[in-house]
Amino acid sequence: MSLIVITILAPFSAAVLILLLRRLPAVLALLGAAIGLLASIGLLLNTFNGVSAELILPGLPELPLRLIATPLTALLSTLVAVIGSLVLVYAVGYMKQDNEKVRFFATLLLFITAMQTLVLAGDWILLLAAWELIGLSSYLLIGFWYQRPGVRAAATRAFLVTRSADLGLYIAVFILIADAGSSDIETTLNTGGSAAVAAGLLLLVAAMGKSAQTPLHDWLQRAMAGPTPVSALLHSATLVAAGAILLIRTAPMLPPDVLLVIGIVGGITTVVTGLIALSERDLKRLLAASTSSQYGLMLVAVGAGVPLAALLHLIAHAAIKSSLFLGAGVFQHSRESTTLTDLQGAGRDRPLIFFAFALAALALAGIPPLSGFFSKDAIIAAALASPNAALLATFALAGTLLTGAYMARALHILWRGKSQKRALVGLGWMGGGLAGLATLAAILGAAFPAIETLLSAPLPASTLAQILGLAAALGGLALGWLIPMRRLLGPLLPWANQGFAIAGGFDAWMVRPTFAIARSCEKLERVLYSGVLAVGRLGLDIGRAVRRSDDRGIDGLIFSLVRGTVNLGSRARTLQSGLIHRELAITVVATAVILVALFVALLI
Amino acid sequence: MLPIVSITLFLPLVGALIIMVLRRAPAQIVHAIGIVTSGLTLVGALWMWSRGVNETGFAQVEQVDWMPTIGAAYRVGVDGISLPLVLLSALLFFLTFIYSAKVKERPHAYVVLMLLLETAAIGTFTALDAILFYVFFEVSLVSMYFMIAGWGHEDRQRAALMFFIYTLLGSLPLLLAILGLYLGSEPHTFDMRVWIDNPPLDGTAAMLALIAMLFTFAVKTPVFPFHTWLPAAHVQAPAAGSVILAGVMLKFGTYGLVRFALQMTPDAFRDAGIVILVFGVIAALYGAFAALAQTDLKRLIAYTSVNHMGYVIVGVAIAALALDPATRAMALDGSVLQMVSHGLVTGALFFLVGMLQDRAHTREMDQFGGLLKVVPILGWSFVLAAFASLGLPGLAHFPAEFQIFLVTLQVEPVAIIVILGIVITAGLYLRAIGKVFLGEPREQWSGMSDLDTREVLTLAPLLILIVVVGIAPALVLDIIHKTTAALQF
Repeated sequence: MSLIVITILAPFSAAVLILLLRRLPAVLALLGAAIGLLASIGLLLNTFNGVSAELILPGLPELPLRLIATPLTALLSTLVAVIGSLVLVYAVGYMKQDNEKVRFFATLLLFITAMQTLVLAGDWILLLAAWELIGLSSYLLIGFWYQRPGVRAAATRAFLVTRSADLGLYIAVFILIADAGSSDIETTLNTGGSAAVAAGLLLLVAAMGKSAQTPLHDWLQRAMAGPTPVSALLHSATLVAAGAILLIRTAPMLPPDVLLVIGIVGGITTVVTGLIALSERDLKRLLAASTSSQYGLMLVAVGAGVPLAALLHLIAHAAIKSSLFLGAGVFQHSRESTTLTDLQGAGRDRPLIFFAFALAALALAGIPPLSGFFSKDAIIAAALASPNAALLATFALAGTLLTGAYMARALHILWRGKSQKRALVGLGWMGGGLAGLATLAAILGAAFPAIETLLSAPLPASTLAQILGLAAALGGLALGWLIPMRRLLGPLLPWANQGFAIAGGFDAWMVRPTFAIARSCEKLERVLYSGVLAVGRLGLDIGRAVRRSDDRGIDGLIFSLVRGTVNLGSRARTLQSGLIHRELAITVVATAVILVALFVALLI
Repeated sequence: MLPIVSITLFLPLVGALIIMVLRRAPAQIVHAIGIVTSGLTLVGALWMWSRGVNETGFAQVEQVDWMPTIGAAYRVGVDGISLPLVLLSALLFFLTFIYSAKVKERPHAYVVLMLLLETAAIGTFTALDAILFYVFFEVSLVSMYFMIAGWGHEDRQRAALMFFIYTLLGSLPLLLAILGLYLGSEPHTFDMRVWIDNPPLDGTAAMLALIAMLFTFAVKTPVFPFHTWLPAAHVQAPAAGSVILAGVMLKFGTYGLVRFALQMTPDAFRDAGIVILVFGVIAALYGAFAALAQTDLKRLIAYTSVNHMGYVIVGVAIAALALDPATRAMALDGSVLQMVSHGLVTGALFFLVGMLQDRAHTREMDQFGGLLKVVPILGWSFVLAAFASLGLPGLAHFPAEFQIFLVTLQVEPVAIIVILGIVITAGLYLRAIGKVFLGEPREQWSGMSDLDTREVLTLAPLLILIVVVGIAPALVLDIIHKTTAALQF
């Protein structure tokens, strides 16, 4: 069996096994993830040697499904497998006291399966399918504690917002297939002209939904209702990453106008959600807003025409953000809360965990030699080199500044305050997973030159970008550490707390109108229903009147028929014979007579 | 060769006759006869499936002279459009009999009616003679009327009446159209194959015949604004009746639309294609919105049927409008597969609601809450079926809807607005799942028992097939595509 199949089937079979056996969920999950990880590393090594793999599967007539391992897809697959496996290790500890482990690990593996399918998909139908399955598994994971208040709404909203945006992907895929006559992604990348513009913009809509870009950023913060390992996975290499991955893969096709729109959307998002993160009162929600902000930066890089910079930041961010979430999960367990006021001094409880958390935070801010420095540097350099340098570079630097500010604020709160020592169950597993990810967050930058070679796409280098980026990062850190958030945000604070919703946001613009239409349909239904019923009654009344006026003649014949039918029926069983039945029987027979008459007339 | 089509067709009737003879037999025996007969019918349908279809025209044709003077004969056979529907019907009836094994109220009449209905359903899909088709079409109607009136819920009389009047009036125009086609054919014949190969009418006559047929099939499918009988009938029908009504009988409308309207008056259909497309789009969107406004779980599912069947109408209209044979084949592939998927998914959903109602004696969503914890098998089955119904990839509706939407964009880009339906159905199903199954379990339902063996046996085949068709649609599409790829019209 080829490696590409094992990459996907290993986590999937583990999920199925867990559901069937209903025991040893953690062991089976780790095993499945480990096999998948080995397979995807194998794929990546093969591509280093110049070997690409492709697998064609039966699909719809004339539209086969494809799995493909190119340098890019193999790299992403490895990323998903690595982060997925480490998060699973952590989850073994985190879920130690939960008694629904079977469901948890099976869904998490399903999630990893769907994500692997997405990154390895070589055709649009499979990509679309994986894209939607990711939506399903995130719905199940966010809604994992479905009995708790608010969880149902969070899961529903996550699925609905992303599915609304997914219409963009659906239509874009239809346009691309119609234009190219094939569902192969490689082939469709040659699309040009107005089809490319339309498809590009629609892909952007889909990516905005999944990557939680403004104005569709709100669902991601609510999605914090799920267990923390889920957040770690959702926010790093999976769910949210799907949007950026889509744009990175289709970047060669996107016309300049579309690129500019992507850059602007990403730029606005990085600033808006950066401000939201700064204003947050809850650590997990702060990290969630930060995710949107970082993906905004990636979109800026795509918009600047350097998708490789976006890819590097995606990789660095995956390791960083999952470390941050895993750290937050430990603090959450030790304080049984995620609000920042409850977490004051939580860092002092467990200095090692705090060290890992802080390392990741500094990496995210872009401090050398941690991974985030290199990827952010690449993005700023790309923005500076683009035709829209003034706009995009401003966005990128503002995003960097804000990143430093909110991470410094979080670190400050976690460190200042009293330590409370409490024993934790499963700390070993959690610490192990976190250590692995934090190490990656620190050193991944060293792998970037190799990735550049692998994808044979050079990055723009610029000393100016390095200086500006570092200045923004340090400035942000200083601001966040030294100045209270209220002073920093000033009059923006109330609006930021509402997630910068414009005139009521998603509810006012989408949900309420939809229900209004639904209600008017229901009103129309009632009118139609009573109308039809009235006509029916009128018909019956006419039937009765006719029978009363003419009880003989032709009716005699009909009645003997009816009697026969009725007798037959009552012999078979005793149906409660309301008057209606007889009326109906008359209607049927009369209709038959009319039809026979018509028939005879036509024949003659 | 064994006349397997006729055997499959009349087996249920034989079962019904046996029960009529054994009038004193206890309920268990009667139900056993029902299950065995429908099981054998399913075997017959599988046998037909294994024999397959031809590249062109109909396969497995069986023919006996009946009224040679007027050109009517007993003619049955299948092609790639009807064969999947025959198999679907046989499966759904079989499962319905398993589910109904608990019926204690007049079991003899119940099983006889259901068996009669099964013959009528399979007959409608296999008939190759217009008179025969019409007879089966009408017999099904009467059986379903008694089904609703005899075993339905609170307000069954009114619902049954509405169902009957509606569909009876609805089917009259079809008879006129059949007569028109008969008179137009030279020499006069009721052989549907002749009508398909050489459409007998053209010009105004064809358009009139088409309008008559469209009216009949619009009522049956149903298409807005002829759908009002559907929610009423569904809500009042017993669960088994709803499954058959939605899973099998709604397909009479769309099957007729393809077999009669599209194949026998192709030019007129093409001229009217845009109008039909508009009706399909409106039906799909209206059904979705109306479903969103429901609080009764069964009504909600009934309205999603209007939505899903609307996609079928869209697919058929696009097939007529498309100029390129490959596009046309894909449109019909999608439409026929959508009929099969809808039968599986909606069948499962109606079974599930029936099982819920058996336990709770209510269908109001607001009365429930947290049931996933109390009855996990029922709950997860509902989640799976609901996600299938909202078109999730990997489950049965996705391949069908994907094909329909793809060709819609290619042929009439504006009509792609119909795709909004998949977001609205997602919303309404998540809302239903949330209200009924998520949240804190209510004290009231804490004693509810989960599915028993009979119920699991009823559901499992449908749920498995939903996944199988979703992952490997080629299993069904191969048969469908063989016919649609060669279709000339």
